[in-house]
Amino acid sequence: MANAPDAAAAEPIRGPIRETYRDRVVTALVAFSIIWSLLGMAAGVYIAAELVWPSLDFGWEWLSFGRLRSLHTNAVIFGFGVSALMGTAFYSVQRTCHVPLFAPGLAWFCCFAWQIGVLCGGISLLAGWSGGKEYAELEWPFDIAIAVVWVCFAVVFFGTIAKRRIKPIYVSNWFYGALIIVIAMLHIVNSLAIPVSISKSYSLFAGAQDAIVQWWYGHNAVGFLLTGGFLGMLYYFLPKHAGRPIWSYRLSIIAFWAFTYSYIWAGPHHLHYSAIPEWVQSLGMVMSLILLAPSWATMVNGIMTVAGAWQKLRVDPALKFIVLSLAFYGLATFEGPMMAIKSVNVVSHFTDWTVGHVHSGALGWNAMITFGTFYFLVPRLMGTALYSVRLANIHFWLALAGTMLYVLAMWGAGVSQGLLWLSLDEIGEPSFSFKDIMASMAPYYALRLVAGIVFLAGAGLLAYNLFMTMRGRRTVSASPPASDSESQP
Amino acid sequence: MPYSSSLIRAIRSPTDAFETLARTDPDPLAVFFRQIVWLALLPPVFAFIGASTFGWRLGAAQPLYLPSDALTLVSIGYFFTLLFGLVSTAFVGRWMAPTYGADGRFGIHLALVGIVAAPMVAGSAFHLFPHVFINLLALIPALIWSMYLLYKGLPIVLGTGPERGMLMASALIAYLLVGAVTVLGLTVALWASGIGPSIGV
Repeated sequence: MANAPDAAAAEPIRGPIRETYRDRVVTALVAFSIIWSLLGMAAGVYIAAELVWPSLDFGWEWLSFGRLRSLHTNAVIFGFGVSALMGTAFYSVQRTCHVPLFAPGLAWFCCFAWQIGVLCGGISLLAGWSGGKEYAELEWPFDIAIAVVWVCFAVVFFGTIAKRRIKPIYVSNWFYGALIIVIAMLHIVNSLAIPVSISKSYSLFAGAQDAIVQWWYGHNAVGFLLTGGFLGMLYYFLPKHAGRPIWSYRLSIIAFWAFTYSYIWAGPHHLHYSAIPEWVQSLGMVMSLILLAPSWATMVNGIMTVAGAWQKLRVDPALKFIVLSLAFYGLATFEGPMMAIKSVNVVSHFTDWTVGHVHSGALGWNAMITFGTFYFLVPRLMGTALYSVRLANIHFWLALAGTMLYVLAMWGAGVSQGLLWLSLDEIGEPSFSFKDIMASMAPYYALRLVAGIVFLAGAGLLAYNLFMTMRGRRTVSASPPASDSESQP
Repeated sequence: MPYSSSLIRAIRSPTDAFETLARTDPDPLAVFFRQIVWLALLPPVFAFIGASTFGWRLGAAQPLYLPSDALTLVSIGYFFTLLFGLVSTAFVGRWMAPTYGADGRFGIHLALVGIVAAPMVAGSAFHLFPHVFINLLALIPALIWSMYLLYKGLPIVLGTGPERGMLMASALIAYLLVGAVTVLGLTVALWASGIGPSIGV
């Protein structure tokens, strides 16, 4: 099987009354994802402004950089990202299995419980509840709630696969499945802690072990959520956009297993030149370099798939987002292994280059492919055309400009920081004080602020465009194709 | 000097310049020696003059002066890196051409790369005052202009449609982004190895 199995399943099928796909929950998740994208990115823009004008916190701890930064990352990763992944997983697993969702009530529970969790979790971060682990800041009550919702997500997803009418499991489901299983494993292990109050707990791990577990979690959250999960999105929606099969289905499967095997080892590259064993650092570096192969296999597969679908660019404004997302995916997955090389990392670590790298992936890859997917998905869910193709085209250029500005600003800032921090005078003392170096970063941070505003403005256009597309409409009913209902296992 | 004049026409009237270029059959060696070498030479020359006169200003108090032999080495490295970047982009473009139904002549790919690079080379005049942030600010509009020329010119010069041209240009952007970050990585790795500015590694 070389293509997502339904060629026309997005269109409502008329005829005898049959079971229908459970798409209203998908619509709700897409809507929540858009709302979180605006809130999370607005928080990012605000903290970018605070780095230019620190007094913008008004001396109020709820607006302090440390708290708002966690809110920003949690809102965009777990609010925007996971809602989009949950929604697209629910949409695609039905169509690749030719059955409605298993336990649709549980799917609605996942949808609303997740939103409540992110909302309350965000408020708790602003209130100063924090475990202090990056991307795992939420305290133990939220950790338990996340685990419960995630298990429910797994039940719905794998339950749907279990009752599928098509024997092969399409590659997008392998990636979504890996997302669900690995994130559950990472989250539960990394969150093991001893609570001392409702708002405070201490990690079960200590010292260097804690750091290794944290970056095993942190890096693989990037790997299996921000990469693997979104690759699931890519493998389903790119062939749909392009109207043709994946260029090489065999390559996609090889890339999946190579990706899954090699990613899990790469976390220690976050801890170069630290107290963890030298061999662990070297292993992390080598596995990071190996990781380039499966990452680029997917990029090549995507680029070659879209290369044969150039006619679609005339009618599908969303395809441009996918094309650019592949370019930034290629950049980010090359830059990451390169920055894991110890002789590069010695300069790049702790600088804004890392921030730029993260955002070349987050804005250029994750956000772009999600925007492209939403422009494709929402009109189909609503059974109508996109409200404005022109606005989508403007959004594309704003998103590209915002991402490029952001990356360039952080490259300039990061390399300057790395060089200045390591510069020594004639008696071997640092040539520049930390304070002076940070003061000199203000222009770069101002440029980054502009980049963030430009990108956020684009996201605002998307929200308006899709709101107008959805306004006054209900999710259309679509049914699995009738032809294979009895003939296939 | 048809190739040099095509650079100037690309600034004044890009569409005409691209249409004219599409009708020609440029000799790769002629394009290389009349255009590419000079485009690769100008930024290192600007950087050498600027860095030796004013020192690199990274925003902190004192400008950073490199020893003259290190500065010469860095400038020569810069030249060959740019030369490799320009020529390899043309090679990659030619390699991609069958996929996107584009013209596969190497000379025309090289000439297109030269035109696309011209705004960036013009922006590199700011290397004469090597303040990192000012150079970054100057190179951003130059970069936008170069990207505009790539997206606009590629479909015309290589005779592929606007849609396939957009896809091919985006694939080339991916290559160039990876190339840019490779240069960054190689540069700091060389610093860490003792080549370039003296850092405490």
